[in-house]
Amino acid sequence: MKRMSKVCPICELSLRVIDYKDERLLTRFLTERGKILPRRLSGCCARHQRQMSTAIKRARELALLPYIKGHVG
Amino acid sequence: MTRQYEVVYIFDSALEEAAITEKLSRFHALIQQPGDAAQPELNHWGKRSLAYPIKKHETGYYVIAKFDAAGEQLPEFERAIKLDDGVLRFLVVLAENAQPAPVAVAKADSDEEDDE
Repeated sequence: MKRMSKVCPICELSLRVIDYKDERLLTRFLTERGKILPRRLSGCCARHQRQMSTAIKRARELALLPYIKGHVG
Repeated sequence: MTRQYEVVYIFDSALEEAAITEKLSRFHALIQQPGDAAQPELNHWGKRSLAYPIKKHETGYYVIAKFDAAGEQLPEFERAIKLDDGVLRFLVVLAENAQPAPVAVAKADSDEEDDE
């Protein structure tokens, strides 16, 4: 697991909104099993952690991201 | 009052491109503003694999559309999509925050300078 930096990684990118269609960005905030990283590990500020988790949940609904990675149904 | 929305459709990838275009125009006719001929801004992502199977399909045809609509028009729009078997899944979200920030602040600053 990557060590968290002092600054929120999304603040650093200075994005206005987190796009739920940008799965490349969102995969940075997932564990290898596809869970959302807690703030402790993602290093996001409160606002961006909230926006990021909403974006991930939308992406999951659209099958851009898996709910569980490596799951064989 | 109209607001800006964004909708993502996932169509059955077995459908022909013409059939998808026909369905899109049928859906978008429902959110057409009276007296405004503006067409939704379409973005075809095309066929891509799904992160997990939906209705036993492994791939889907993604289309993203941005449009202005009144909130009262949406229930009927969503109902029409839900009834369509060619659409595996769809998502309608408000896209208002995605608009570029207004430049009014910078303008006001320059006005002040002019006064001085």
